[in-house]
Amino acid sequence: MLSLNRVTKQYGSFTALEQIDLEFSRGVYALLAPNGAGKTTLIKMLSTLIFPTKGEILWNGDDIIGLDAAYRDMIGYLPQDFGYYRNHTPREFLRYMAAVKCLKRDRGARRADELIDLVGLSDVRNKKMRKFSGGMIQRVGIAQAMLNDPQILILDEPTAGLDPKERVRFRNLISSLSKDRIVILSTHIVSDIETIASSVILLKDRRLLTQDSPAAICGTLDGNVYETDDIEAIKAPHLVLTERQENGRTVTRFASERDCASAARVVNPNLEDVFLYVYRDEER
Amino acid sequence: MNEREKNASIDRILARGLVKPSSAGKRISVMLRELGLRFIFWDTGYSLFFAGLTLACVFALFMLAPESYRASASVAVSPLLILLAVLFAGTSERLGGLYEIKQTCRYTIGQIAVLRMICYSVLGAAFTAAVAFAGADGELGFAALFPLCLSALLICAILSLSVLQRAGSRWGYAAFSAVWLFASVALPFGLGDKWEHLLRGMPLAFSIGFAAAGAALFVWQISKMLREVNPHVIA
Repeated sequence: MLSLNRVTKQYGSFTALEQIDLEFSRGVYALLAPNGAGKTTLIKMLSTLIFPTKGEILWNGDDIIGLDAAYRDMIGYLPQDFGYYRNHTPREFLRYMAAVKCLKRDRGARRADELIDLVGLSDVRNKKMRKFSGGMIQRVGIAQAMLNDPQILILDEPTAGLDPKERVRFRNLISSLSKDRIVILSTHIVSDIETIASSVILLKDRRLLTQDSPAAICGTLDGNVYETDDIEAIKAPHLVLTERQENGRTVTRFASERDCASAARVVNPNLEDVFLYVYRDEER
Repeated sequence: MNEREKNASIDRILARGLVKPSSAGKRISVMLRELGLRFIFWDTGYSLFFAGLTLACVFALFMLAPESYRASASVAVSPLLILLAVLFAGTSERLGGLYEIKQTCRYTIGQIAVLRMICYSVLGAAFTAAVAFAGADGELGFAALFPLCLSALLICAILSLSVLQRAGSRWGYAAFSAVWLFASVALPFGLGDKWEHLLRGMPLAFSIGFAAAGAALFVWQISKMLREVNPHVIA
C-alpha cells in the first residue's frame, strides 16, 4: 500500500500542497482538480521527482526516499509532456527505455514486443514515430511506463490533447492495466475518470477536499441539480452548470441548495456537475 | 500498532541494519554492468561532438598563445574538456523530453552523470597531459606544468560534481560554467604577469601536493555521491 502522511510541499514561501493524507491500494485513482491546483506536484512527489517539504510518503511502511532505487523499480511514469525520439521506431524506443530501466537485453526486447501488442501498435512497430498521432504517442508512453511491470503506474494528464476516439481507447487501456496494480492519473477532464476511476481525489486550496468513489462524490449533490428551459424563473440562488440547445430552446442545468423542484426538473448529478460546483470560485 | 506489527517493524529495522552498504567501486561496477557503456552516453552524441569541436578550436587558439603566457593559458584550457562535456551533454539532456522519465528509472540521471564524470576525468587528464606537453617550454617543463594543469582540472571536476548535486535549476550548471570561464579569463587578464609568475614560480612539491589532494577529494566526492540517497529537485 502507498500512503501519504501529512505531506506538504513548499517552494520557498509558496505552499503548493498542504497536509495531504492519502492511501492507495489496487485500482484507478483519479486526481481531479483545476489547472494549478497541485496535481502535478503530487504526481511528481509520488514519482520521486521532488520530495515533500514535510510529511512522508510510505510504500508498505517504508519511506520511499530510503527505498531509493527499489521504489523507482516499482513505478512506471508517464509525464504530461512525454518526449520521444521522432526518428526511432516504437520497438527501438522501448528497447532503449528497457535498457535505461536496467532490464536484461532479452527480457527488455521480449517485453517491448509484448507491450507493443498490448497497446495496439503491432502494425507500426517498425515505423518511425515522427508520423504518429498524439494517441499513438501516448500509447508508446504507456508502454514505456509498463516496461518494468510496475506496481504503481503514475500518469500525468495522459489524455490531454487526444481526440475523443483516442481518449476512449486510452481509457480502456488504463482500465485493463489497473487489475493488479495501483494506477494514479491526474486530469482535469471529468469524462476520463467517470467510467474507469475506482476512487476520485479532489484537491482544493492546496488541500485534500475529498477522496471517494465517483458515485459517492456525485451523491453529495443529490437533489441539488436541476434542469430548466426558463432559468429566468428561478429566483433562488443558484449556479449555472451547463447549457444546451434542445428543440430550439436553451436548457440550463444548474445547482441550488434551495428546493427548486416546483420550477425545474431534478436530475441526477454527474461528476462534471460536482467539479463545476466545487470549483465555482476558481479562476479557469 | 499491535504486537505483530511491532515485531515485524523491529525485524525489518534489524534486517536493514545487517546489510553492509556497498562500496562506491562495487556500485560503479554494478551500474556499468547493468547499464552498459553505450547507455551511459546514449543521447549525448551530438552534444559531445559539439563539445569536442569547441575544444579543438580552443586548443588551436591555445597553440597561438604567446610563450610568455603559456602557464596561464595551459591552466585556463585544461579543465575545459570536463566543463564543455558536462555543460553540453547535461544541458541537452535536461532540456530533452525524456528527462523526467529517466529520473524515475532505477539509476537517475544524477547517478549516471557521476559515471560520466569519471570518464570525462580520465579523458580530461589525457587532454591535460597534451596541453602541458604542448605548453611546456625551456623554462617551464612538462613535469612542472602538468601538476598545475591537473590541479585546475580536478578543482573544476570537484566543483562540477558539487554543482550537479546541488543545482535544482536546469540552468545551474550553465551558470557555474559561465562563472568558471569568466574567472579563467579574468585571472590572467586582471593580474597579467603576476598570475603567470605565480604559476611559474610555484614549487613543484606544492603543485604535486595540490594535485594529489584534489584527486583524493575528487574520489571522495564521487564515492559520496554514488552511495548517498539524494533527494533531488528538478521542478
